[in-house]
Amino acid sequence: MSDLSQLANEFEKCRGQLKSYILRMTASVTETEDILQDTYLKAHEKLATFRGESSLKTWIFAIASNLARDLLKSKKRWPENVTDICREEALNEPAMFAKSMFIRNNSPQGNFEIKEHIAFCFTCVSKSLPLEQHLCLLLKEVYDFSLKEVATILRTTEQMVKYHLHTGRTKMVDVFEGRCALINQKGVCHQCSEINGVFNPKQNTQEELVKIKMYREAQKGDKQYLFDLRMQVVAGIDPFESGAAELQLHHLEFNRRTMEKYLKKND
Amino acid sequence: MTPNGKATTIKKTFSRETAVSIEIGADQAVIWALLTNAADFSRWNSTILSIEGEITQGEKIKLKAALDPKRTFKIKIKEVIPERKMVWGDAMGNRVFTLTKQGENRVLFHMSEKIGSFMFPLFASQIPPFDDAFEQYAADLKKEAESIAAAN
Repeated sequence: MSDLSQLANEFEKCRGQLKSYILRMTASVTETEDILQDTYLKAHEKLATFRGESSLKTWIFAIASNLARDLLKSKKRWPENVTDICREEALNEPAMFAKSMFIRNNSPQGNFEIKEHIAFCFTCVSKSLPLEQHLCLLLKEVYDFSLKEVATILRTTEQMVKYHLHTGRTKMVDVFEGRCALINQKGVCHQCSEINGVFNPKQNTQEELVKIKMYREAQKGDKQYLFDLRMQVVAGIDPFESGAAELQLHHLEFNRRTMEKYLKKND
Repeated sequence: MTPNGKATTIKKTFSRETAVSIEIGADQAVIWALLTNAADFSRWNSTILSIEGEITQGEKIKLKAALDPKRTFKIKIKEVIPERKMVWGDAMGNRVFTLTKQGENRVLFHMSEKIGSFMFPLFASQIPPFDDAFEQYAADLKKEAESIAAAN
């Protein structure tokens, strides 16, 4: 059993990771704040039941995962081409672009960097995975939990975690191979370079791209390795604290609203 | 039946039954998940081109098989005992899948399909043999499940 001060310390230590994990599940800042708060309240309320069979951090992530699952299980998953759909919608909504430019010009968290967009893009595209695959992929590949810890967090077996990871990863590798022009010249999506040209017009995009290992290694064609590198980019970015946070969160909120409308229309 | 992945067919006047068994070194729940995830089927199973719908009790699915790519089979999921048994079927017959635990991460997979009716002799010659497809199905399932089991 743990005491309240231990819980408060551990919660504070993992708060950043937990918050970004919830955001990557929900794609909503408001829902992230709500689940984060509810996670603490629930942990506080249930602390006496914590038996120390896992770490306190694992236990906290389990509570957050459960709350997010409850919220997400009735919601439809997003399509793989979410970024295409949202791009079209953005082109028809000048106010969205105007606000982006305002953030770009005025906010200390309004920079645009291609690697930030890679992480943003993963947040959107990975929501096309079935929920369990999505959570396993985030917990294992982005937040570096062991198979055993992921199984504990999601209340399943290690074997089923392996299954969800395998199927989720395979699907994501295929989706990015077909879509991402950074790793495949025939990829249909160039949004990161395209938007970089808008927000950083004086910058040499090619020079920026070669700073990204995933781009440099693309010629080797090792899809699994390229996906590992993509996961490293995602893991290295805190969507609430990075220098592009406000701009990317504005875009994410736009995509979330667009998806809600799209899914409702296509129900 | 020996679980060697070899299919056998018993032909009778009014029916034909093909079966295959294979031992798989993987978790029973994982094998079951592979067998019931419609959207993921064609990724690992080379005998299936696509499955539309949900593989759950009482649902109907639309299946396209490599053996006859132009046809879409409309199949009902007639019986489901999670992680143990599933029966699919249409007016022609039933396909039965069973999983039997043999030990820790050792599972016997058995699949059989019996087709037939009083009209069966009239069109029996038009139905291709299932043996190769059954063997491939079992081999694909074993390969996929065991590769998941071996992952770190």
